[in-house]
Amino acid sequence: MVPDAAIAKLKERFSGLQLMEPAPVKGHLSVKLSGPSKLIGVIKMLKDELGYEFLDFITAVDWKGPVDLKGYIVNPNPNPFMPEGVRSQMISEPPTPGFPYREAIEVIYALSNWAAKSRIFVRVETTRGDPRVPSLIFLWKGADWQEREIFDLLGVVFEGHPNLKKILTPDFIKGHPLRKDYVHIKDKYD
Amino acid sequence: MLGAYAARFDFDRLGVIPRPSPRQADVMIVAGTVVKKMAEPIITIYHQMPEPKFVISMGSCANCGGPYYDSYSVVKGVDKIIPVDVYVAGCPPRPEALQYAVIKLQEKIGRLAPTRQAMASPIQEKGARVWYRMRLSPNLRKDLAVCN
Repeated sequence: MVPDAAIAKLKERFSGLQLMEPAPVKGHLSVKLSGPSKLIGVIKMLKDELGYEFLDFITAVDWKGPVDLKGYIVNPNPNPFMPEGVRSQMISEPPTPGFPYREAIEVIYALSNWAAKSRIFVRVETTRGDPRVPSLIFLWKGADWQEREIFDLLGVVFEGHPNLKKILTPDFIKGHPLRKDYVHIKDKYD
Repeated sequence: MLGAYAARFDFDRLGVIPRPSPRQADVMIVAGTVVKKMAEPIITIYHQMPEPKFVISMGSCANCGGPYYDSYSVVKGVDKIIPVDVYVAGCPPRPEALQYAVIKLQEKIGRLAPTRQAMASPIQEKGARVWYRMRLSPNLRKDLAVCN
Protein backbone atom coordinates (compact mmCIF):
# COMPACT_ATOMS: atom_id res chain seq x y z
CA MET A 1 0.00 0.00 0.00
CA VAL A 2 1.10 3.54 -0.69
CA PRO A 3 1.65 5.44 2.57
CA ASP A 4 -0.88 8.18 3.28
CA ALA A 5 1.89 10.71 3.81
CA ALA A 6 3.13 10.13 0.24
CA ILE A 7 -0.37 10.57 -1.17
CA ALA A 8 -0.81 13.80 0.80
CA LYS A 9 2.52 15.12 -0.48
CA LEU A 10 1.62 14.30 -4.09
CA LYS A 11 -1.77 15.97 -3.76
CA GLU A 12 -0.22 19.02 -2.17
CA ARG A 13 2.34 19.49 -4.95
CA PHE A 14 0.20 18.66 -7.99
CA SER A 15 -3.38 19.77 -8.33
CA GLY A 16 -5.63 17.82 -10.66
CA LEU A 17 -4.29 14.39 -9.71
CA GLN A 18 -7.01 11.79 -9.67
CA LEU A 19 -6.64 8.81 -7.36
CA MET A 20 -8.51 5.91 -8.87
CA GLU A 21 -10.79 4.16 -6.37
CA PRO A 22 -11.26 1.26 -6.32
CA ALA A 23 -7.73 0.52 -7.45
CA PRO A 24 -7.87 -1.10 -10.92
CA VAL A 25 -4.71 -3.22 -10.57
CA LYS A 26 -4.51 -5.69 -7.68
CA GLY A 27 -5.10 -3.16 -4.92
CA HIS A 28 -2.16 -0.94 -5.90
CA LEU A 29 -2.85 2.77 -5.98
CA SER A 30 -3.29 4.29 -9.44
CA VAL A 31 -2.68 7.97 -9.98
CA LYS A 32 -4.26 9.45 -13.07
CA LEU A 33 -2.75 12.59 -14.52
CA SER A 34 -4.77 15.18 -16.39
CA GLY A 35 -2.21 15.38 -19.20
CA PRO A 36 1.34 14.48 -20.24
CA SER A 37 2.74 17.88 -19.22
CA LYS A 38 2.77 16.94 -15.52
CA LEU A 39 4.27 13.49 -16.04
CA ILE A 40 7.95 14.31 -15.58
CA GLY A 41 7.25 16.33 -12.42
CA VAL A 42 5.19 13.60 -10.79
CA ILE A 43 7.59 10.81 -11.73
CA LYS A 44 10.63 12.80 -10.58
CA MET A 45 8.96 13.50 -7.25
CA LEU A 46 8.04 9.85 -6.84
CA LYS A 47 11.59 8.80 -7.64
CA ASP A 48 13.63 11.38 -5.77
CA GLU A 49 11.48 12.26 -2.77
CA LEU A 50 9.13 9.39 -2.13
CA GLY A 51 11.49 6.49 -2.80
CA TYR A 52 9.80 4.93 -5.85
CA GLU A 53 13.16 4.23 -7.43
CA PHE A 54 12.39 1.15 -9.49
CA LEU A 55 10.59 1.26 -12.81
CA ASP A 56 8.72 -2.04 -13.07
CA PHE A 57 7.38 -1.56 -16.56
CA ILE A 58 5.78 0.82 -18.99
CA THR A 59 2.75 -0.23 -20.94
CA ALA A 60 -0.04 1.36 -22.92
CA VAL A 61 -3.72 0.77 -23.62
CA ASP A 62 -5.72 1.77 -26.65
CA TRP A 63 -9.17 2.69 -25.38
CA LYS A 64 -10.92 2.81 -28.74
CA GLY A 65 -13.84 0.42 -29.18
CA PRO A 66 -13.53 -3.33 -29.88
CA VAL A 67 -11.04 -4.56 -32.45
CA ASP A 68 -12.04 -3.92 -36.03
CA LEU A 69 -11.41 -7.21 -37.78
CA LYS A 70 -11.84 -5.73 -41.23
CA GLY A 71 -8.16 -5.01 -41.41
CA TYR A 72 -6.98 -8.54 -40.66
CA ILE A 73 -6.37 -11.18 -43.27
CA VAL A 74 -8.98 -13.65 -42.10
CA ASN A 75 -8.48 -16.36 -44.68
CA PRO A 76 -5.21 -16.08 -46.61
CA ASN A 77 -5.15 -19.73 -47.69
CA PRO A 78 -8.65 -20.82 -48.76
CA ASN A 79 -9.43 -24.27 -47.38
CA PRO A 80 -11.06 -26.46 -50.04
CA PHE A 81 -12.42 -28.87 -47.38
CA MET A 82 -14.43 -26.20 -45.56
CA PRO A 83 -18.13 -25.89 -46.46
CA GLU A 84 -19.15 -22.93 -48.59
CA GLY A 85 -19.47 -19.64 -46.73
CA VAL A 86 -17.86 -20.84 -43.49
CA ARG A 87 -15.37 -18.43 -41.93
CA SER A 88 -12.45 -19.28 -39.69
CA GLN A 89 -12.63 -18.71 -35.97
CA MET A 90 -12.40 -14.92 -35.88
CA ILE A 91 -15.73 -13.28 -35.06
CA SER A 92 -16.05 -9.55 -34.48
CA GLU A 93 -17.10 -8.70 -30.93
CA PRO A 94 -20.03 -6.34 -30.47
CA PRO A 95 -19.19 -3.29 -28.35
CA THR A 96 -19.84 -3.85 -24.63
CA PRO A 97 -22.52 -1.40 -23.42
CA GLY A 98 -21.35 0.83 -20.59
CA PHE A 99 -17.65 0.32 -21.28
CA PRO A 100 -15.69 3.60 -21.33
CA TYR A 101 -14.53 3.54 -24.95
CA ARG A 102 -12.79 6.78 -25.91
CA GLU A 103 -10.38 8.17 -28.46
CA ALA A 104 -7.36 7.91 -26.18
CA ILE A 105 -4.20 5.95 -25.64
CA GLU A 106 -3.29 5.58 -22.00
CA VAL A 107 0.36 5.09 -21.04
CA ILE A 108 0.84 3.36 -17.69
CA TYR A 109 3.99 3.46 -15.58
CA ALA A 110 4.48 1.06 -12.66
CA LEU A 111 6.93 2.23 -10.03
CA SER A 112 8.09 0.32 -6.95
CA ASN A 113 9.46 1.33 -3.62
CA TRP A 114 11.22 -1.77 -2.38
CA ALA A 115 12.03 -0.31 1.06
CA ALA A 116 8.39 0.50 1.79
CA LYS A 117 7.18 -2.58 -0.16
CA SER A 118 4.74 -0.50 -2.12
CA ARG A 119 3.93 -0.01 -5.76
CA ILE A 120 2.19 2.81 -7.55
CA PHE A 121 0.76 3.11 -11.04
CA VAL A 122 0.89 6.41 -12.88
CA ARG A 123 -1.53 6.71 -15.78
CA VAL A 124 -1.49 9.41 -18.40
CA GLU A 125 -3.79 9.73 -21.39
CA THR A 126 -2.91 11.12 -24.81
CA THR A 127 -4.96 11.56 -27.94
CA ARG A 128 -5.03 8.80 -30.52
CA GLY A 129 -4.39 11.17 -33.37
CA ASP A 130 -1.06 12.52 -32.17
CA PRO A 131 0.00 10.57 -29.08
CA ARG A 132 3.00 12.18 -27.40
CA VAL A 133 4.42 11.69 -23.93
CA PRO A 134 7.84 12.68 -22.59
CA SER A 135 10.47 9.96 -22.48
CA LEU A 136 11.77 8.72 -19.12
CA ILE A 137 15.05 7.47 -20.51
CA PHE A 138 17.03 10.10 -18.62
CA LEU A 139 15.61 8.75 -15.33
CA TRP A 140 15.81 5.01 -16.08
CA LYS A 141 17.93 3.47 -18.83
CA GLY A 142 15.58 0.50 -18.76
CA ALA A 143 12.82 2.62 -20.24
CA ASP A 144 14.62 2.55 -23.59
CA TRP A 145 13.37 -0.69 -25.13
CA GLN A 146 9.96 -0.53 -23.47
CA GLU A 147 9.33 2.88 -24.98
CA ARG A 148 10.51 1.65 -28.35
CA GLU A 149 8.14 -1.31 -28.08
CA ILE A 150 5.18 0.94 -27.27
CA PHE A 151 6.17 3.19 -30.14
CA ASP A 152 6.32 0.20 -32.45
CA LEU A 153 3.07 -1.47 -31.45
CA LEU A 154 0.88 1.51 -30.51
CA GLY A 155 2.53 4.48 -32.17
CA VAL A 156 3.08 6.58 -29.05
CA VAL A 157 5.90 9.07 -29.67
CA PHE A 158 8.20 9.44 -26.67
CA GLU A 159 9.64 12.92 -26.90
CA GLY A 160 13.32 13.09 -26.02
CA HIS A 161 14.06 9.44 -26.77
CA PRO A 162 17.41 9.32 -28.58
CA ASN A 163 16.71 6.24 -30.72
CA LEU A 164 12.97 5.92 -31.28
CA LYS A 165 12.86 3.18 -33.94
CA LYS A 166 10.76 0.06 -34.48
CA ILE A 167 12.02 -2.73 -32.24
CA LEU A 168 9.78 -5.76 -32.85
CA THR A 169 7.98 -5.68 -36.16
CA PRO A 170 9.93 -5.89 -39.42
CA ASP A 171 10.36 -2.73 -41.47
CA PHE A 172 7.85 -3.71 -44.17
CA ILE A 173 4.93 -3.89 -41.69
CA LYS A 174 3.19 -0.53 -41.85
CA GLY A 175 1.13 0.85 -39.00
CA HIS A 176 0.93 -0.12 -35.35
CA PRO A 177 -0.50 -3.62 -34.91
CA LEU A 178 -1.88 -3.30 -31.37
CA ARG A 179 -4.08 -0.35 -32.25
CA LYS A 180 -7.74 -1.28 -32.32
CA ASP A 181 -8.24 0.12 -35.84
CA TYR A 182 -5.09 -1.47 -37.30
CA VAL A 183 -5.46 -2.43 -40.96
CA HIS A 184 -3.04 -5.09 -42.15
CA ILE A 185 -1.60 -4.44 -45.58
CA LYS A 186 -0.61 -7.64 -47.37
CA ASP A 187 3.16 -8.03 -47.49
CA LYS A 188 5.50 -10.40 -49.30
CA TYR A 189 4.93 -13.25 -46.82
CA ASP A 190 1.10 -13.23 -46.80
CA MET B 1 12.51 -32.37 -30.19
CA LEU B 2 14.54 -32.41 -26.97
CA GLY B 3 12.56 -35.44 -25.86
CA ALA B 4 13.34 -37.20 -29.14
CA TYR B 5 17.05 -36.62 -28.60
CA ALA B 6 17.01 -37.67 -24.94
CA ALA B 7 17.60 -41.12 -23.48
CA ARG B 8 14.06 -42.50 -23.66
CA PHE B 9 13.64 -42.04 -27.42
CA ASP B 10 17.29 -41.67 -28.44
CA PHE B 11 17.42 -40.06 -31.86
CA ASP B 12 21.07 -41.06 -32.25
CA ARG B 13 20.13 -44.65 -33.01
CA LEU B 14 18.48 -43.41 -36.24
CA GLY B 15 21.67 -41.61 -37.11
CA VAL B 16 20.29 -38.17 -36.36
CA ILE B 17 23.11 -36.11 -34.93
CA PRO B 18 22.68 -32.39 -34.23
CA ARG B 19 25.26 -30.25 -35.97
CA PRO B 20 26.36 -26.80 -34.84
CA SER B 21 26.29 -25.31 -38.32
CA PRO B 22 23.93 -25.47 -41.31
CA ARG B 23 27.02 -26.01 -43.48
CA GLN B 24 27.40 -29.49 -41.96
CA ALA B 25 23.71 -30.40 -42.03
CA ASP B 26 21.62 -32.58 -44.33
CA VAL B 27 18.23 -31.95 -42.70
CA MET B 28 16.78 -28.80 -41.23
CA ILE B 29 13.99 -29.23 -38.67
CA VAL B 30 11.83 -26.12 -38.48
CA ALA B 31 10.36 -26.54 -35.01
CA GLY B 32 8.31 -23.48 -34.22
CA THR B 33 6.43 -20.42 -35.32
CA VAL B 34 8.04 -18.71 -38.29
CA VAL B 35 7.60 -14.98 -37.84
CA LYS B 36 8.12 -12.63 -40.75
CA LYS B 37 11.20 -11.13 -39.16
CA MET B 38 12.85 -14.57 -38.99
CA ALA B 39 11.86 -15.54 -42.54
CA GLU B 40 14.98 -14.14 -44.15
CA PRO B 41 17.43 -15.76 -41.69
CA ILE B 42 15.66 -19.10 -42.33
CA ILE B 43 16.11 -18.68 -46.09
CA THR B 44 19.77 -17.83 -45.51
CA ILE B 45 20.26 -20.94 -43.37
CA TYR B 46 18.57 -23.05 -46.02
CA HIS B 47 20.94 -21.69 -48.68
CA GLN B 48 23.92 -22.38 -46.43
CA MET B 49 23.13 -26.10 -46.24
CA PRO B 50 25.04 -28.26 -48.74
CA GLU B 51 23.14 -30.19 -51.40
CA PRO B 52 21.30 -32.54 -51.14
CA LYS B 53 19.23 -30.87 -48.43
CA PHE B 54 15.93 -31.71 -46.80
CA VAL B 55 13.52 -29.87 -44.54
CA ILE B 56 11.20 -31.26 -41.88
CA SER B 57 8.42 -28.93 -40.80
CA MET B 58 7.56 -29.85 -37.22
CA GLY B 59 4.34 -28.83 -35.53
CA SER B 60 1.27 -26.87 -36.52
CA CYS B 61 3.00 -23.49 -36.25
CA ALA B 62 5.63 -24.37 -38.83
CA ASN B 63 3.13 -26.25 -41.02
CA CYS B 64 0.53 -23.53 -41.44
CA GLY B 65 0.91 -20.85 -38.76
CA GLY B 66 -1.13 -22.78 -36.20
CA PRO B 67 -3.03 -20.63 -33.70
CA TYR B 68 -1.26 -17.53 -35.07
CA TYR B 69 -2.87 -18.03 -38.47
CA ASP B 70 -4.67 -14.65 -38.39
CA SER B 71 -1.71 -12.78 -37.00
CA TYR B 72 -0.01 -9.83 -38.63
CA SER B 73 3.51 -11.10 -37.99
CA VAL B 74 3.47 -14.84 -38.67
CA VAL B 75 4.33 -16.60 -41.93
CA LYS B 76 1.47 -19.00 -42.66
CA GLY B 77 3.60 -22.08 -43.05
CA VAL B 78 7.33 -22.43 -43.59
CA ASP B 79 6.58 -23.93 -47.04
CA LYS B 80 5.78 -20.39 -48.19
CA ILE B 81 9.48 -19.54 -48.03
CA ILE B 82 11.41 -22.83 -48.41
CA PRO B 83 10.52 -26.27 -49.84
CA VAL B 84 9.46 -28.82 -47.21
CA ASP B 85 9.89 -32.59 -47.52
CA VAL B 86 8.04 -33.96 -44.48
CA TYR B 87 5.34 -32.32 -42.37
CA VAL B 88 4.79 -33.48 -38.78
CA ALA B 89 1.34 -32.71 -37.40
CA GLY B 90 0.78 -31.97 -33.74
CA CYS B 91 0.94 -29.16 -31.27
CA PRO B 92 3.53 -30.13 -30.19
CA PRO B 93 4.23 -33.45 -31.95
CA ARG B 94 5.19 -36.42 -29.83
CA PRO B 95 8.85 -37.49 -30.02
CA GLU B 96 7.72 -40.66 -31.84
CA ALA B 97 6.10 -38.48 -34.51
CA LEU B 98 9.36 -36.67 -35.18
CA GLN B 99 11.21 -39.97 -35.34
CA TYR B 100 8.58 -41.31 -37.74
CA ALA B 101 9.14 -38.20 -39.88
CA VAL B 102 12.84 -38.99 -40.07
CA ILE B 103 12.04 -42.59 -41.06
CA LYS B 104 9.67 -41.28 -43.74
CA LEU B 105 12.37 -38.93 -44.96
CA GLN B 106 14.79 -41.85 -45.16
CA GLU B 107 12.23 -43.76 -47.25
CA LYS B 108 11.80 -40.73 -49.47
CA ILE B 109 15.54 -40.39 -49.95
CA GLY B 110 15.67 -44.12 -50.75
CA ARG B 111 13.13 -43.61 -53.55
CA LEU B 112 14.97 -40.65 -55.02
CA ALA B 113 16.68 -41.49 -58.31
CA PRO B 114 19.51 -39.09 -58.91
CA THR B 115 20.13 -38.28 -62.52
CA ARG B 116 23.41 -39.64 -63.79
CA GLN B 117 26.38 -37.54 -62.70
CA ALA B 118 24.10 -34.91 -61.20
CA MET B 119 26.07 -32.78 -58.76
CA ALA B 120 28.75 -35.50 -58.48
CA SER B 121 32.45 -35.56 -59.13
CA PRO B 122 33.72 -38.67 -60.99
CA ILE B 123 35.04 -40.16 -57.79
CA GLN B 124 31.62 -39.74 -56.18
CA GLU B 125 29.87 -41.08 -59.26
CA LYS B 126 31.87 -44.27 -59.61
CA GLY B 127 32.96 -44.79 -56.05
CA ALA B 128 36.50 -44.68 -54.76
CA ARG B 129 37.27 -48.36 -55.52
CA VAL B 130 36.24 -48.11 -59.16
CA TRP B 131 38.30 -44.97 -59.46
CA TYR B 132 41.28 -46.75 -58.01
CA ARG B 133 40.88 -49.66 -60.44
CA MET B 134 40.42 -47.18 -63.29
CA ARG B 135 43.80 -45.75 -62.53
CA LEU B 136 45.26 -49.24 -62.70
CA SER B 137 43.60 -50.58 -65.85
CA PRO B 138 43.45 -48.52 -69.03
CA ASN B 139 40.79 -50.88 -70.48
CA LEU B 140 38.36 -50.27 -67.64
CA ARG B 141 38.87 -46.57 -67.99
CA LYS B 142 38.01 -46.83 -71.67
CA ASP B 143 34.88 -48.86 -70.88
CA LEU B 144 33.69 -46.37 -68.34
CA ALA B 145 34.32 -43.52 -70.72
CA VAL B 146 32.07 -45.28 -73.25
CA CYS B 147 29.40 -45.69 -70.61
CA ASN B 148 29.42 -42.02 -69.91
